Amino acid sequence: MVTPELVKQYIEAGLVCTHLTVTGDGAHFDAVIVSPLFSGKRLVERHRLVNQALAGRLGDEIHALSMKTLSPEEWAEQQG
Amino acid sequence: MSVQDTIRQTVTDNPVVLFMKGSAQFPQCGFSARAVQILAACGREDFVTVDVLADPEIRQGIKDYSNWPTIPQLYVNGEFIGGSDIMFEMFQSGELQTLLGQPQQQ
Repeated sequence: MVTPELVKQYIEAGLVCTHLTVTGDGAHFDAVIVSPLFSGKRLVERHRLVNQALAGRLGDEIHALSMKTLSPEEWAEQQG
Repeated sequence: MSVQDTIRQTVTDNPVVLFMKGSAQFPQCGFSARAVQILAACGREDFVTVDVLADPEIRQGIKDYSNWPTIPQLYVNGEFIGGSDIMFEMFQSGELQTLLGQPQQQ
């Protein structure tokens, strides 16, 4: 079974992250991903970067991944 | 007509199309159910849904069409918008309501 820790490793291996948390039950996962690469990009482009990092695993090995994608600036603002 | 042509025609002939698992009345996946709820909350009742579970070729074909690995997928005026996470964030910010309120561009 895929663990949240493994999903985290997959994302980290393919995308520069300054903050990353992954929770989940083996089929559905939730991730909060903060990356400088997200700055100035639309949501759909940000999600594409994560999809690329997961290299075909999403929708297959990983059934579903809900993600929050934030730039470091947005993340800092949210932490307020 | 190829699967890609069929998909292109579906998303250009209809202003709002949701590719999902199951039907709007009976969604077969929580994410698809959420996508339907979001569209309904935007006040759009004229959206078309395509059940990917009914056709394996469409199920794979739509992922290739948008280069996006998961279902549901929303298209507005022929353009791929995103999956349920993106729909929800755009709904929260009001962006989706604005997008869906625009008249169809011919």
